[in-house]
Amino acid sequence: METGFLSAFWFIIVAAVTVPLMLLVGALLRPKSRVVGASHDSYECGEKPIGSAWIKFNIRFYIVAIVFIIFDVEMVAIFPPATMYRTAIQQGNVGIVFAEIFVFVGLLLAGLAYCWVRGDLEWVKGVYQTNRRK
Amino acid sequence: MAETAYFAHSLQTWLGGGPLWIWGAVSAVVVIFGLALPFGGLATYAERKIAADIQDRVGPNRVGPFGILQFLADAVKMLAKEDFIPRGGDHFLFNIAPVFVVVGACATFAVLPLSKYLLGADLNIGVLYVLAISTLVSPGLLLGSWASENKWSLLGGLRAAAQIVSYEIPVALCILPIILISGTLQIGTIVELQGWNLALEGAKSPHFWNLFHNPFTLVSGFILFIAGLAETNRIPFDLPEAESELVSGFNTEFSGMRFGLFALGEFCEVFVMCAMVTALYLGGWHIPFLDIESFGVTLPTLLVALIQLTMFMIKTLLLVFVVMWLRWTLPRLRVDQLMSLCWKGLVPICLFNVLGTAVWLWVFHGRSLAQLIFQGGGH
Amino acid sequence: MSSGSQAILFAFQLMTLMSAVLVAFHPNILYASVALLFTFLGVACMFIFIGADFLAGAQVIVYVGGITILILFAIMLTQWMYKATLRDVRTKILLPVVACGLLVTPILLKTTRLIADLGPLGTAETMTAFSFSPKTQVIGQALLTSYVLPFEAVTILLLGALVGAVWLARPQ
Repeated sequence: METGFLSAFWFIIVAAVTVPLMLLVGALLRPKSRVVGASHDSYECGEKPIGSAWIKFNIRFYIVAIVFIIFDVEMVAIFPPATMYRTAIQQGNVGIVFAEIFVFVGLLLAGLAYCWVRGDLEWVKGVYQTNRRK
Repeated sequence: MAETAYFAHSLQTWLGGGPLWIWGAVSAVVVIFGLALPFGGLATYAERKIAADIQDRVGPNRVGPFGILQFLADAVKMLAKEDFIPRGGDHFLFNIAPVFVVVGACATFAVLPLSKYLLGADLNIGVLYVLAISTLVSPGLLLGSWASENKWSLLGGLRAAAQIVSYEIPVALCILPIILISGTLQIGTIVELQGWNLALEGAKSPHFWNLFHNPFTLVSGFILFIAGLAETNRIPFDLPEAESELVSGFNTEFSGMRFGLFALGEFCEVFVMCAMVTALYLGGWHIPFLDIESFGVTLPTLLVALIQLTMFMIKTLLLVFVVMWLRWTLPRLRVDQLMSLCWKGLVPICLFNVLGTAVWLWVFHGRSLAQLIFQGGGH
Repeated sequence: MSSGSQAILFAFQLMTLMSAVLVAFHPNILYASVALLFTFLGVACMFIFIGADFLAGAQVIVYVGGITILILFAIMLTQWMYKATLRDVRTKILLPVVACGLLVTPILLKTTRLIADLGPLGTAETMTAFSFSPKTQVIGQALLTSYVLPFEAVTILLLGALVGAVWLARPQ
């Protein structure tokens, strides 16, 4: 087990423990609370809440998440070859490494360009609006 | 390069033996309770003072000298507030959301290069660790906004998650040129490679700061800062917390210490983002034009560490000041402007920067602009 | 590995398994998603323990930061999904358990035989040396030389996934 990660784990554990610790301190300090009238209703600028706490399905959130995952995987996959770029320069065979990275990034750019041209990256006035008009 | 520059190791040598894992725990407690939490508190005070300055008023000045203990008063107030969970709200998720946010913000302090000898853990995957831990924030926000059982919180939370998730791509793509230049994911090594060496034929590569390595990294540095602003939900990207639109967005129903923890998480994330920009682009703990380890006199390690720490903090806090300055200067971006800025603006520019840096490194054999100017044809 | 490290590894493995069981059996779909998040985190921790640090980071970035968000978006935006009970825990448990047992047992047998063939995990010195070795660079070197064709094929696969996903999401 890497000792570096041991230190990193300790940071995560300390950060995670801080939260219940603070809430515990608060629980010890504060006076008891009671539910009075509408004090525990959800807040809507003073009006009574209308309807349940649901919103209509917006596909744009989902599209953003999917496009993000694609780019996320591409980006994580490009990190290891990028770390070898410096050694490749010192060894002199940069051309092929650059070509590989170029193909990778180029195809990524092509995909982004496709989505852009077809209007899938629009947030408000694109897919959703077209959907509503139909 | 071996992972040797640990805070825990340094503590072990400076304060006598003992098993390493105890010093790891001590270093975690010292950094989080000594740097992260006080910074979170003082940042709230600093923000109010800077806001007051920009808006031509005084700001907090009652508690302590110049009002500097205001954050302690705020903390006590928040701790003593009612532990409020809205009717129908989900207790488990309501309580676990701040954990994700605080861990996502504070656990990254482990790899920040505060100094050559004050690194919590110089992981082999340092940069990747920061990116990974930062992604823990978005499920926290989503779960918290859902657990509030409030339409406006839910919408704010969804927008916040979509925004954070979208802007992670420019952040990672802006870190890529630095990886291309440095050839490693270790943050300590990346900072060391940016040292200015007056004796140019010395062993250290005389790169100046990565920001000036080539024109593409210049652009990347600024884009990293902008994308970092969006990641931490700061103006001009703070639509999820939009005070004028969604009440308070996803943290409407969070009161008292839970809200305090969200605010703490936000400020710690700002610090981490600025620290990353400093470490990757602005030379970390290097003092410009000075190499204090190559003087004739060898200074004690502790003194060197403190000087480097001061330098790092100066650079990072300058960036934090700019972040707070921007809050009261720029208007808020609308959600579709935000998304098109990311996907149609920053991502293509970042991809071109990556390719451009790769071409530059190829053509000039990995030398920076500074090396070309000051070393001429040398290698 | 020291006994302390083994104890921590065991704790993470237990957390992963318990979260996985919760994902499969919890009636509340949102709690099941949170359990899925912890399963991903547990797997990332197990990656760290065998020294695959880059994989652990990639796991957290892609799965916790991406897939979990996707699943949570789908749940939070779909009204009926929250009201549907995921499964009736008391009945219909025998057949799925038997089917899973039949599928998993050969894999378990094969894996334990493979691990036994590999021999002991190595001395503390070799493990330490392995821990500090630059694995990301090794992966990068492999991706650029031996595995360059799968590397580029992955790009095409991702491009296809991107085009397909946005095409499916378009209003037809």
